[in-house]
Amino acid sequence: MTVAREAFTLPLLLLSVALLGGLRVGDRVDLVPPSLFSLVLAMVLAGALVRSGALAPDRLMHATRGALANLNGLTVLAALLGASAQALALVTPDWGLPRIAASTFLLVLLLNTHAASPDRVRLLRSLLVIFGAAFVLKFVVLAALSDPVQGRLGRALQILLEGVTLGSLTQPVHRAVTGYVAFFTMVLYLVALALLPHAGRRDDAPGALEARGARHPRDPGHEDLTRHEARGPRNDW
Amino acid sequence: MSEPTVRAAGLAAAIAYAFLIGWAYARQPQTMAQVTGGLVAEIGAYRADPQAFDDGLRFFRSDRFEEARAAFARADPAERDARTQFYLAYTYLRQGWGRVYHDDALYARGLERVNLAIALAPSGRLVVDDATLGLRSADELKAELEAGMRREASDLNPLRVFRQRP
Repeated sequence: MTVAREAFTLPLLLLSVALLGGLRVGDRVDLVPPSLFSLVLAMVLAGALVRSGALAPDRLMHATRGALANLNGLTVLAALLGASAQALALVTPDWGLPRIAASTFLLVLLLNTHAASPDRVRLLRSLLVIFGAAFVLKFVVLAALSDPVQGRLGRALQILLEGVTLGSLTQPVHRAVTGYVAFFTMVLYLVALALLPHAGRRDDAPGALEARGARHPRDPGHEDLTRHEARGPRNDW
Repeated sequence: MSEPTVRAAGLAAAIAYAFLIGWAYARQPQTMAQVTGGLVAEIGAYRADPQAFDDGLRFFRSDRFEEARAAFARADPAERDARTQFYLAYTYLRQGWGRVYHDDALYARGLERVNLAIALAPSGRLVVDDATLGLRSADELKAELEAGMRREASDLNPLRVFRQRP
């Protein structure tokens, strides 16, 4: 990872996600802070990122790095937490039954991802699917159900749906620009996740194998390990 | 450029950006004018446009309240000047004031403005030195607006018609 990426690109990308993730454009422009639950989800997500190797915290903060470098790393970690919380809050429906259901599903999916310990690429793919599906649910499906419709038939169907669900399905209606900004924010967030310093690259560094407690190539058992890895990626899914 | 310079510049940029984000979430600006004016006000450099303010004052004193509000809004686009917000609140009071009844909608908007003026004033105390006003402090103005929106037995007092407009 280059110095510029660590000092500029990642913090600014993640902070942009933290800013835009709370933007809701309706009759007025609101900046909504993340809920407590989304902070909890962000912590789980951060754990999954570290466990999969998609984020190597020791490449951001370590005793061998200088104070300024550690401050840069701290900035990235703090911005990542804020951006994750806002990204998760962004794709969670605003209220009612969909909010409860989506929050529960996000928690279960993230815990499941954490437990499965996928590698970096699989984790990023998994997050793409999770965020993409939640985005479609909130900004396409629920937005369509909640949008005031024109025409008597459409209105009648909407009233019928509200009656059946006791009004717990419809969501606050935002302007279309909110969805576009949300989409852009999700793309920014996923790009930032892909740019995070990950564990795989650390193996290139001299002495990195020893530092991580891995076996030396001359150690007995290394050959077995190499042969195992040569079979190809594990099918964790 | 040396590595420490890049790191220090990146850190400064990130802190400044994070401050901007925190400020935006706390203040909830609605327009770009409010963003720029609010940030300038944070460093104490914000001033209302004196020409537009004088225009507003002239309209206000000739009871042309719509024009006065437009001029005051031009004078303080970021809504950060307590005195301008006070006069804006006063336009709603005078326009909504009646001998028999008060316009609650205008009074409510006036109350919003005077609350904003109080929030912007140092220590919440705002006194305007203007002899043409019946109420010269934001506290008096707020009390008058709140009283006008209340439903009381004194509303039925026929002597109300002799009240002077504040």
